Parts: sequence; structure tokens; C-alpha cells
Amino acid sequence: MNAMFEPFVDVVPSFFATLSQGPMTLTIFLHTVIILPMFWIYKQEKARLEKEGN
Amino acid sequence: MATKSVWSDNRFWQRTAAWVTGFASVLLIWLTFDTSAQISMGTDADLQNGVTKRVPGPTVINYKVTYEMNKKRQHEIPVIGGMNAEGTSAFQEKENFFGRDNWSEEEAGALLHLGKLASQTKNCMNCHTLLGNGAYYAPDLTKAWLDPAWGPEGSMQAMTGKETKEEAMAEFLQNPSQYPTHARMMPNLGITAEEAKGLVAFLKHLSSIDTNGFPRNFGKIQGAVNGK
Amino acid sequence: MASSYSKSESKKLATWYFTVAATLFGAQLLFGLVAAIQYVMPGFLFEILDFSVARMVHINALVVWMVFAMFGSVYWLLPDETGIETVGIGLGKLLFWVFTAAVTVVVLVYLFIQVGPADETSIWFIHEGREYIEAPRWADLGITVVALGFVANLFMTGIKGNRSGIVTVLMADMIAFAGLYLTGMFYTDNISIDQFWWWWVIHLWVEATWEVFVGALAAYGLITMIGAHRKVVEMWLWIEVAMLFGSGILGMGHHYFWIGTPEYWWEIGALFSALEPLPLVAMFIHVLYDWGKMQGEEAAKGQDLSVITNKPAFTWFIMNALGNFLGAGVWGFFHTMPQVNLYTHGTQFTSAHGHLAFFGAYATILIGMMYLAVQGKNNIKILNNTKSSIWAVSMIVGGVVGMTVALTLAGYSDVIISRAQMGATWAGYFDAQATTWLVQGLVWRLLMGVVTFVGFLFLVKDLLSIGKATHHVR
Repeated sequence: MNAMFEPFVDVVPSFFATLSQGPMTLTIFLHTVIILPMFWIYKQEKARLEKEGN
Repeated sequence: MATKSVWSDNRFWQRTAAWVTGFASVLLIWLTFDTSAQISMGTDADLQNGVTKRVPGPTVINYKVTYEMNKKRQHEIPVIGGMNAEGTSAFQEKENFFGRDNWSEEEAGALLHLGKLASQTKNCMNCHTLLGNGAYYAPDLTKAWLDPAWGPEGSMQAMTGKETKEEAMAEFLQNPSQYPTHARMMPNLGITAEEAKGLVAFLKHLSSIDTNGFPRNFGKIQGAVNGK
Repeated sequence: MASSYSKSESKKLATWYFTVAATLFGAQLLFGLVAAIQYVMPGFLFEILDFSVARMVHINALVVWMVFAMFGSVYWLLPDETGIETVGIGLGKLLFWVFTAAVTVVVLVYLFIQVGPADETSIWFIHEGREYIEAPRWADLGITVVALGFVANLFMTGIKGNRSGIVTVLMADMIAFAGLYLTGMFYTDNISIDQFWWWWVIHLWVEATWEVFVGALAAYGLITMIGAHRKVVEMWLWIEVAMLFGSGILGMGHHYFWIGTPEYWWEIGALFSALEPLPLVAMFIHVLYDWGKMQGEEAAKGQDLSVITNKPAFTWFIMNALGNFLGAGVWGFFHTMPQVNLYTHGTQFTSAHGHLAFFGAYATILIGMMYLAVQGKNNIKILNNTKSSIWAVSMIVGGVVGMTVALTLAGYSDVIISRAQMGATWAGYFDAQATTWLVQGLVWRLLMGVVTFVGFLFLVKDLLSIGKATHHVR
């Protein structure tokens, strides 16, 4: 399991370099934070449509 | 009948568009601050103290620059002033540049400034590529300083009658069509002796920028290629 | 109708913009031909009009004609969308003349002065030597003023009149379009910082704001040409905006793989730019689907007449849907991953992508807008194709696709030999240039360039004469 947490290889350490230490972490993080709020927007709009009764 | 689906509702998509655009823009701005700090130009003190910068200071022209495979990063990196035990820049080994290896920060900075201005005003990018960007009518110049053609084994020093790489490059830049390497020649762009010196400093500095291993295998294979 | 040509100064101004755009399109093709000839005959105009100058005019004319046609398109559609005459039309006309005069001076300086000494004066008055945005700094400032005036007119009209979804998208998009230009105007000795901000203009224009602009034009075109339902079209438009900006803004990372920027851009650039083709697929499906749907509604009523009210324009809009998807989407995806881009970056393959993407995504739909203007100007209800319309679209599309295929094949040996085998040295570069694939590819590119240019002549003839043909429904 050690290989799952590589020290970063970038020249200068930074927040994003740390986040992208494994091949998937940065990708999963970014896509998750973009998609999650869409559920909230969805729920709000659904409630609005139901209230408008159509 | 069931209520209308949210998926076919204009307002839902309008808000989604606004959210996604806003998030991507904010993240891009944040990343820009992070990247800008990492690619700011280093100083002479950095080079003296052995601080590795992605874009070193102009006095890098006083040092020997090579391009070596790095075990940890698994691609080639610029190595300045010889290699240390970890396979990165040792910042020790100096190299004469137009006869001196003691260009001060001001002098080297002025030379790089002139060279960068010349690279734009002479329109290099509309034939060559710099860092891979530009036109494809002439060779990429990212690591031109390290090109074997200009080294002691290459043909360019003999052709221009010069004894060092930098003098050969400067001579070529001033009179390119006198030294054709191909039917497709570089035109005379009215480059003065001082501008040529600046351009060579610009190219040496360019070769010392950490490009994450682009181009791969630069100058490692020489000679004819199959099928040529 | 309030927005008919005879009563709308905005529409008159639009036709001025289209006229200059078409002229600059011709200049783009001519100087492209000069550059293409120089690949095949290196001595052609050597030290008279060198490749660097020909290519600078080629790509600058490209950018500028598209900006002219984009301004023209907005002035054309604004009265229809907002229901009122464009606010500030006098300012719009003044800025048109300022813009045209500035472009003329810039091109004359490019052609007759070409290069200057290495100092700031050259940057201010000759050119900045930065691909695509070479315009000297005085012109940069002028373009900024013109763009701000244009955006002001759009905003004042949008606020005063009926603000449709299309107008809302255009307002947000055009202010970003104008603002981004500012990031490409300063000088720095640090080439990594230089290229970092240079991409803010180039990438965020062509892979974000311009694409959204095209989405808005396609929406307008579908409503005006086949009577598509606004609510459906605007829903698609919002989905496209979400997908285009969602992928395109951070997709900029694919230009930050090798210019000195940190390694985390590999991951961000690859993942987001890999999603960039998705909205282009969506736009392609959307245009064809709506067409079929509207025709089907007619058929259900027992009608078998075409729903299309402007045949040549609609043909170009279809070419846009296809060309955007193929040129920007597929050809872009080919080399957007870092493991591929390490070798393809800055080769003839890039050039292949550039040709089909700019043409497919932008030239096509803007030519379509010119046909819409011809229809409106001549007060025609249904504009039919002429022989010239068909020759123009066939030869231009065939020529550009032919150039793209030729450059793609040339790109094989460029990538394999000069990059993968030889590591991008001077010798490696010229070894690749001498290969059969590359040599033949560039001859084919020239031939296909000539085909494109002949197609352009048909296009000009058609735009000037189609309004007088008698087989339209008036």
C-alpha cells in the first residue's frame, strides 16, 4: 500500500503538487467538487417545479 | 401526470452553467497564483546558494548547462553547473560565455532582455517553435543551445570558422544565408552583433528552463535514420 | 417587422463588418498560399516576403476576419433577438472605421517594414512577434477601445430590449472575450510567464469564449432558419455553455505541459481537455436533431416542403456542426494527452489540427451568417442555392479537409522521426523534412490550398450575386 502515497516529484512543493501525488487523487478531487453542488441545484429546482405545480 | 423533469428545465441548466463556469474560473485563478510563483525567474543568489528554480536567473549563462535523465522524475531535466549525487544541478561547474564566466546579474539581465526583445521583434516564432509553440518551418529552439550540431563534434563551428558555440551561433544569426544547412534557409533579419549576443544568451537561458522533459531524448541519437 | 434590413441601421453595420471580413478572409488564403509555396519551393520570395511575414499575415488575417465577422453577426442578430434597434449605433459605425483603418495600417507595416531593431519601439509600432497576437501595442490599445465600445453597445441593447437566453449568453461571453485580450499585451523577459499569459488569450478565446459564441449563433440560426422552438434551443445552449466552459477553462492546462509550468498541469490539462469534444458532439447532434424534428412536424401536417428558409446558410451551419466536432473535437483529442503531446507538440500534426479546427469551428458558421445577411438585405423569404453556392461549399470544405489530411500524413513522419527518434534536434528536424511522407504531404497541402482558394472565389461571386437570382421565394 505504500506505493499509493508517493512523495511528490515536482520541483517546488505546492498544494496542487501534494494533491496530485498519486495518479488519480487530483482528478477525483476536482471532478467531485464540481459535480456535488449540481445535486443541490437539482434538488432546489425540483422543489421549485413541484411548488409551481406542473 | 408526473411533474416536468428537472433535466428538461432551462433554469436548472442555466444555474449549472453558471456554477461550473464560476468554479472553473476561480480554480484557474488560484492555479495561476500557484504557477506564477513557481515560474518566476530566479536570481544570481539562487544559483550561488544551489536553489533549483524552474526558470533560473539570467546569470545561468555563466554555468555549464546539460540535459540529463533524472531517475526520480523519469524524464530529462536541465542540469546547471554539473550534476550532484541526486542527479540534479550542482551549480558548481562554470563555463565561459563570450570569453567570461563572471557576467554580473545586471549585465546578464540586460543581455537576456535584449535577446528576448530580439526574439520577438525578429519574429522567430513565425518560423521556429520556442518551447514547442510557433511555426513548423524551422527547427524547435527550446534546447537549441544543447544541439550537437553547434557543439565541438558538430558542423556549425567549422562552417562559421568560430571556436566556441556562442560565437558560432552569433555569427550564424548575423549572416544566416551565408551558412545554409538546407535548401530552406534562414533569411537575413538585420540582426546586429549585440543583438546576436543577446539572442544566444536568450537561447542558453531557454535551454535551462525545466520543461518537464520536453523534448524527449534530445540529442541522444545521432546519424542517419532508417528509411531516409 | 421592426428588424427588417431597410429599417435597421444595426443590420446595415453588420453588412459592413461582413464585407471587410470576407476581404480579410481572401488575404488570409492568399498569404497562406505564399507560405505553402515556400514549403515546396524554398527560394520563392526569399528575403522579399519571407515565410515568417507571410505566415504572420496568414494567421493575423485569420483572427481579425473572424473578429470582424463575429462583431457583424452580433449587430445582425441583436435587433431580431431584442426587438429593438441596437443602442449606440453611431458609436458602432465610428468604431468600425477606426478598426478597419487600424487593421489596414498594421498589415501595411507587416508587409513593408517586416522587422525592426530589438527595442521597445518595434514592439510598439511594428509587431510584438507573439504568434496570433502579433499586433503592435498601439493597435492592441486601439483594439481594446473598439472591443469595449462593441461590448457597451451589446450591453445597452440587451438591458433596454428583450433579453433572450441567447442575448444573455452573448453578453457574458463577449465581456470575457474583450477582457481576455488584455492579458496578452504586456512584455516580460521571462518566456515561461510570457507564454503562460499568451495562452490566456489564445486558448480562452478559441477553446472557450469563441466556442460559446458559436453555440449562441447556432441557436439563433436554428430559430431563424428552420423555426426551431426557442425553449428547446436555449436549453441546449445552456447545456453547451456548462460543458464548454466546464471543460474548456481548465482544459487550458494542455498548453501548460512543457512551457516551464509545474507538472500538475499534466493531470488537470489532460482530464479537462479530454472532455472538450463532448459539447461539440452535443452541438452536432443538436443541430441535426432539431432539423429532423422540425421537418417531421411538417410531415405530420402533410407538408413535404423543406423547413429550411436559407439553404446555403443552413448548409454552412451543418458544416459547422460537423467541422467543429471533427476539427476541434477529434483532431484536438488526438494529441491532447501529455503522453502523446510530448511528441506531437509543435509538429505538422498541430498544423493539421489548427487548419480544420479554425475552419470547422468558426469559418463555416460565420460564412453562414454572411448568407443570412444577404437574405435579409434582399428581403428574400426562402433563399435557395445557386450553382456557385454549391461549388463554393464543396471546394472550400473539400480543400480544407484535403489540407488537413495531407498535413496529418506529413505529421506522421514529423512526429516519428524528428521527435520520437531524433529528439527534436536541428538534424532530426531536417531528416523528417526530407521524408517522402512530409515532402509529398506538403505538395498535396499546396494543391488543396489552391482548391480552397478557387472555392473562395465562387463564394465571393455567390455572396455578391445570389440576391439577384430569380429562383428564391420573395
